[in-house]
Amino acid sequence: MTGLQDAARDLLQSGEAAVVIGFGGGSAGGARPLMVRDPTSVGDLIFDDRCVHNLAVYLLKPEVKSLGKPAIVGTQAVLRSILQLASEQQVKDRDVIALIPEADGGVRRLETLGEIEGAVSKPDAVLSPEEQNCLDEIASLSREERWRFWQEEFSRCLKCYACRAACPMCYCSQCIVEVNQPQWIPVPAHPLGNMGWHLVRAMHLAGRCVNCGECARACPVDIPLNLLNQVIEKEVAEQFGGKAGLSATASYALSTFTTDDKDTFIR
Amino acid sequence: MARIGVFVCHCGENISATVDCAKVAETMSGVPGVVHSVDYKYMCSDPGQTMIRDAIKEKNLTGVVVAACSPRMHEPTFRRACADAGLNPYLCEMANVREHCSWVHEKSEATTEKATDLVRVMVEKVRRNEPLFPIKVPVTKTALVLGGGVAGIQAALDIANAGHTVIMVEREPSIGGHMAQLSETFPTLDCSQCILTPRMVEVAQHPNITLHTYSELESVEGFIGNFNVKIRKKARHIDETLCTGCGLCALKCPQKKIPSEFDAGVGTRTAIYVPFPQAVPNKPVIDTDNCLYFQKGKCRVCEKVCPTKAIRYDQEDTIIEADVGAIVAATGFEVKGCDFFPEYGFGKYPDVITGLQFERLASASGPTLGEIRRPSDGTIAETVVFISCAGSRDPAKGIEYCSKICCMYLAKHAMLYKHKVHHGKAYVFYMDIRAGGKMYEEFVRRAIEEDHVSYIRGRVSRIYEEDGKLVVKGADTLLGGRPIDVRADLVVLGTAVVAGEGAEELAQKLHISYDPYFFFAEAHPKLRPVETNTAGIFLAGACQAPRDIPETVSQASGAAAKVVGLFSQSELSREPVIAVVHRTAPPLFSKCVGCFLCESACPYRAIEREEIKDRQGRVLKVVAKVNPGLCQGCGTCVALCRVKAIDLQGFTNEQVFAELVAL
Repeated sequence: MTGLQDAARDLLQSGEAAVVIGFGGGSAGGARPLMVRDPTSVGDLIFDDRCVHNLAVYLLKPEVKSLGKPAIVGTQAVLRSILQLASEQQVKDRDVIALIPEADGGVRRLETLGEIEGAVSKPDAVLSPEEQNCLDEIASLSREERWRFWQEEFSRCLKCYACRAACPMCYCSQCIVEVNQPQWIPVPAHPLGNMGWHLVRAMHLAGRCVNCGECARACPVDIPLNLLNQVIEKEVAEQFGGKAGLSATASYALSTFTTDDKDTFIR
Repeated sequence: MARIGVFVCHCGENISATVDCAKVAETMSGVPGVVHSVDYKYMCSDPGQTMIRDAIKEKNLTGVVVAACSPRMHEPTFRRACADAGLNPYLCEMANVREHCSWVHEKSEATTEKATDLVRVMVEKVRRNEPLFPIKVPVTKTALVLGGGVAGIQAALDIANAGHTVIMVEREPSIGGHMAQLSETFPTLDCSQCILTPRMVEVAQHPNITLHTYSELESVEGFIGNFNVKIRKKARHIDETLCTGCGLCALKCPQKKIPSEFDAGVGTRTAIYVPFPQAVPNKPVIDTDNCLYFQKGKCRVCEKVCPTKAIRYDQEDTIIEADVGAIVAATGFEVKGCDFFPEYGFGKYPDVITGLQFERLASASGPTLGEIRRPSDGTIAETVVFISCAGSRDPAKGIEYCSKICCMYLAKHAMLYKHKVHHGKAYVFYMDIRAGGKMYEEFVRRAIEEDHVSYIRGRVSRIYEEDGKLVVKGADTLLGGRPIDVRADLVVLGTAVVAGEGAEELAQKLHISYDPYFFFAEAHPKLRPVETNTAGIFLAGACQAPRDIPETVSQASGAAAKVVGLFSQSELSREPVIAVVHRTAPPLFSKCVGCFLCESACPYRAIEREEIKDRQGRVLKVVAKVNPGLCQGCGTCVALCRVKAIDLQGFTNEQVFAELVAL
């Protein structure tokens, strides 16, 4: 902990970073995102098992961007997000410093995208056992049953757009649901509008989702959105190879063609 | 308020037989914004077009919908009629009630209803159409011809003679292609080289043609009228300005046993060589894979004997860059080798040869000086079997098409053989004799009737060697499948014509489509046979499909006519149906967030990056920009853009949405 706080203080004092995006203590014993700009406040930074949220979502928020160069407390999900954002031209080399708390209390500091690429590991077990059970169950359903399952899940959606707000890949300045000339996706939270929103969002994330699970975590009505995205990511990886968030220069699976792409998805 | 005119065509009976056209017109007259709605027997006829022109003027129409055939047929006709009457042509749309309705449904109420729906959809679209104006792009009046065979030569000469400059790129050390390898040509039996070499010389001497032999296309960028190409000029290891073509180097080269590509492997060449005596240019190349100096570091005999000191062992490939306005792909074909046929010995019998190898044996300039000698022992072949459809028309071999030239050249081979070896026996095994062409059937009859070539209808199942002879086991299907064994000295396979080596790679470089056999695809098999789907790139010769010389030459002239037509204007008008990136007021500037995922999706590389700057020159945002010269209006970027920051002019999101809602 002190290692992280020291590193944050150094960065802020030297002016190398204008803000440190990290975690602080929250209500009910939880952790919440914390933006530290004053070197004397670094004592508020914490890092423990409660700190699971993907902080990378703040990197592109205009309010945070206007503060100056950020340093960010990096979990693997944050690193993957930074790389994916870089491949989409949203983060440039040396735009952000990543601080990785180590098990021994020290901190690894990553300055460049290349260093981040070196530090990122392949996302493997990002699901909890319950989530994995749920996924297995969905997989065992027939096509029609699966459709009904998701209809059921989406029927609870309030269209609060918390999934969008929590997702680091949802950085569009005007989301498709706010485009109303024409209004492709119905606004009301009725079954058609909900289905339209979630399917479009899932497609917009296909090949881009870094599987941080933030959408499901943010959902107030517990729709397991991350499972939908996770399966699509798996499909994309199988069909076109590659995974989102492992390289700052990766090409987008859905807009590139290679001769060894499979065509089994054409039925 | 929109003032839309609807014109429903009967197309004779094509539409009116199943669709109640009068009713469609009547229903549409009740749609808000439609101020004029009529039906007529032939809208595309002159009176029909006059109806449209008059209505535009009299009723002040702001949009026109013609319910008729496919826009691929008559959209230009009706748009021109609208333009004549002063209406922007892009405010005219067609509802396809023929191919999409009357032709595919029975006569019924529902058919008429569907036709009405199709028209209603287009009315909603036209209501949202904006006037568009053609895009003007300049034209570089230089053509690039890829391939120096007879197709490339003909195309290059035709373009050059029309007064335009031509850059010709040939992969081999000399131009001439396969035609230079042939002995005689059907159906006239005139010497192939005698008719080709004057053309080769003409190419070399033509002031408008720049020739790059031993060169390959490295890359292509740009678009019709404005291509930028890079050409890799492979190192010949010769200073071409000093070399006089005396041939002393090849004469003294110690590596003499290399199979000659020009002789299709039945003759040999040296490591420094000119492929054939009439080569253009007559400058040798060093085949570094077989040169002793390049392989073992010792020799340098050519350097010692060269009287002008023209040998350059350290020469490297150079890249030549050029701007061209049009490209003609004339890269030709290959023939399958004998090793493709397990039933004919996998190519292990030296006396089983391909048609191309027979051409070299029969050629006066070939390794046997025109005598039909067996490659194995050099004796004169007394019995020769010719097998057509070796590989072609054989789904089991994966080549389902007809190679087209084999029937004719095998008849020619048999004839040439009989002219050279009077007492010899010639057999041709065939499936069908395909001799469609001027004087072709007569030619084959001559082989059978005057030169007594034995034609046997049937296929050869197997060839094996026995006592120095090749036993050809076939069947005569005209005699009820009676088995026939011929003990032959020489077997000639009319092997399948296949796409040239590297055809797929080249097609990808040029962004042109190709068929499953890697032959380049034409834009329309009947009406646009020399164009590709990429504007400004044309096809000539056997790179498109198996072709004989007369067809190749006429197609090459056709491609040249297209190029010359393109070059007849100083600027090109292009359809304004292109993508545009949305722009709006600050602080958003554009819905585009600059993720540039569209950049890699664009098949025409039309997406560029545009910096939006403030007055101090600081970059506020980087957004996508569509190069209007490159964009072909395919709409891939539109589909990919998450925020719909890109719209296709003439097919905007709003228009498509309105069309759907109207249904």
